[in-house]
Amino acid sequence: MLVQRRTNRGLVVAALATALTLIVSALPASALTIHRQDGVSASTITLGITVPLTGAAAPGYNKVPYAMQAYFNYVNDNGGVNGRKIKLVIKDDAYNPVLSKSVTNDLILKDKVFAIVGSLGTAENEATTRFVNDHGVPRLFINTGFSGFANTSKYPTTYTLLPSYVMEAKIMGQYIKDNFAGKSVAIIYQDDDFGADALKGFAIAGTKFVAKIPYASGSQADPTVVGKWISGLAAAKPDVTIMFGVSSASAAALGGSYKVGFKTQWILGSVGGDGTTIASVAGPTAVGLLYGAIGTSFLPAPTDTSDPYVAQFQAINQKYNSGVVFDNNVLEGMNTAMLTVEALRAAGSTLTRASLMKAIAKSGSTFASAGFSPLGYSSTSHIGYNGYWFGTYGPTGAIKPQGGTYTLYTTDSASGAVSKTTSTRPAMPEKGLPNN
Amino acid sequence: MRKRRFTSLQRGGLLLILGILLLVTSNFVDELRSYQGAQVAVYLVAISSIILLTGYSGQISLGHGAIMAIGSYAAALAFSLWNISFEFAILFGMVVGTIAGFILGVAAARLSGPYLAGTTLALAVGLPTIADQFKVLGGEQGLNFDIGDAPGWIKRFEGSDFTQYRWFFWLMTLVALGVVWAITNLLQSSFGRNWRAVSNNPVAASLAGINVARAKVLAFTVSSALASLAGALFGILLGIVTPSAFPLTLSFTILTGAVLAGVGNLAGSIVGAVVLVAIPEFSGALSTHLGNSQKVTANLPGLVTSLLLIFVVLFRPEGLWPKKVWKRSRQLNN
Repeated sequence: MLVQRRTNRGLVVAALATALTLIVSALPASALTIHRQDGVSASTITLGITVPLTGAAAPGYNKVPYAMQAYFNYVNDNGGVNGRKIKLVIKDDAYNPVLSKSVTNDLILKDKVFAIVGSLGTAENEATTRFVNDHGVPRLFINTGFSGFANTSKYPTTYTLLPSYVMEAKIMGQYIKDNFAGKSVAIIYQDDDFGADALKGFAIAGTKFVAKIPYASGSQADPTVVGKWISGLAAAKPDVTIMFGVSSASAAALGGSYKVGFKTQWILGSVGGDGTTIASVAGPTAVGLLYGAIGTSFLPAPTDTSDPYVAQFQAINQKYNSGVVFDNNVLEGMNTAMLTVEALRAAGSTLTRASLMKAIAKSGSTFASAGFSPLGYSSTSHIGYNGYWFGTYGPTGAIKPQGGTYTLYTTDSASGAVSKTTSTRPAMPEKGLPNN
Repeated sequence: MRKRRFTSLQRGGLLLILGILLLVTSNFVDELRSYQGAQVAVYLVAISSIILLTGYSGQISLGHGAIMAIGSYAAALAFSLWNISFEFAILFGMVVGTIAGFILGVAAARLSGPYLAGTTLALAVGLPTIADQFKVLGGEQGLNFDIGDAPGWIKRFEGSDFTQYRWFFWLMTLVALGVVWAITNLLQSSFGRNWRAVSNNPVAASLAGINVARAKVLAFTVSSALASLAGALFGILLGIVTPSAFPLTLSFTILTGAVLAGVGNLAGSIVGAVVLVAIPEFSGALSTHLGNSQKVTANLPGLVTSLLLIFVVLFRPEGLWPKKVWKRSRQLNN
């Protein structure tokens, strides 16, 4: 009986402790407030980014935030933005939507960032949308081309930079029609909205596939998975194979096909075409695997030192990101950072989240940037670039535009035609410091 | 003097009052703490499922993360594909998880020690990746499980700035308190006594007329029901359900929480849950102090957890819960 009474008492103590501990876990107390203007002080603007620094997708992408930081440091050393220095908080999400949600929580609730910039991944950005929207945090120039982000009702604070994957696939489909008519085509693609967008674009372009090989994000690190890709390709014997995934997946595909002597004409999507990353994943000999492959991009080739943007960013990289090879990831990071500085400048010295988004709507289309196509930002559009050029990888793994000049193709994310286009790119601001 | 004995109803009433107290307290905390409070509640349910299974019925599971995945996926599927309310989705997740637990429990009743641990481990490794094989499960991108804001009547009562995380804190805390109430009742019933008897000496339990296999299957089934409930709540807290949300490390994390709690000590599960939520916070602060190197930031939580686990196993094998209280519980259990 005594035992029974003590059991009761012990369990009641447990129950009480449960409740009290949950209370304590919720302390220290502070009034519940949604801080709309977190991250801005008289001297600092705090920004955040989520990006894979570890895991299968990390190679290459892990250079992007540090390139951005290098550019921000350069701007800070030259007076900052309206007197404020920029601080970038970098969070690793391992290209995992669940982790992305968790670290975005931290960015907004703990680090109190003013805005999120350049966060990478389609599924990763989708996973954090609800939370970002609820807090009204601007999410600038995110590193994904998922066409769904064009929906400004669903993603009111989100701005993409890349042309949509639908656009890219349509342009690629047209290129194949023009250059590889009658040839058999296969595709390896990431099996989420990233790949689904690509398939949508190819369907509009009328591209027929003899093999469609999906892969789960991250599985490119598994040799068994890669083996299945290659055996699938070998069975289908495509003349042309499109790789629509991240660079580490391109490296796996190229390396896997090399091992078994499988030959095809590779076409790499813009996301998965960084030569330096491919070489770092598949080993230095992999550079040779790239030779003759076709790639697409919306930025100039990172080795093209005649381009004023590339030249200036290379100089900044040398001083502020010492020892890091200048590649497409570094170029993209610095370009994103420069656009961010322009947006912050345009918002004026009384910086608020509302003023930032208003400034992008008003003047975002005029911002100087390395991309060849004009930026599409307006009060009704949050989409950046809309055009690609085609290049061929040389023996050193460097991509060069076909025909020696950047020929830009453009289209929309719907059923519009693909066409060649030209536009005058704004000049690189003097010393790479925005003056808008 | 005869000491007062609480009835099940009185305990329920007491928990209800404490629940209300908690909800009122949540008015004075920020959103981050609300989120962490909800995390504690989810871990509390998950750790309770392990403690019930291992501490009270003597069975080892290294695969409860997989049971959580089953509950989470079932609930998310019901919610996003069939458009049923989240309450029924959680219930559906529990039902599916319970059935899976029963099937696994039947197999588990024939196994013990490392064989059972190995079987459940294999489940934790293999099961979440099945989601990649079926389109309906959303592949690596997973399923949406955003249950939205709090019901209108709560917002009318609490105001329009009642955030989603605060709503989760309310929901999950109340569920956790309900679970604590249910388990305390269950452990005092003949089922609980049977489990303890089976755990302490299966032969003696059998001679005393207890059907050992049935008791073990039942314990595994009830434990799975709790784990799948934790999984459904976990999915809601994340807003999405993906294979990567249920890695092998999740099973180990819950088990770690149970060890820190003191396996066999339900009261300690609270400490286990709080410590699991506190470790990343502590590691983050320490990492900042050490200069925020990426390698340190990535590896510190694992290091802290491992050190804590070693410390507990060596110096406090009974768990982190205050010794006096635990000793009393142990006397009772014996």
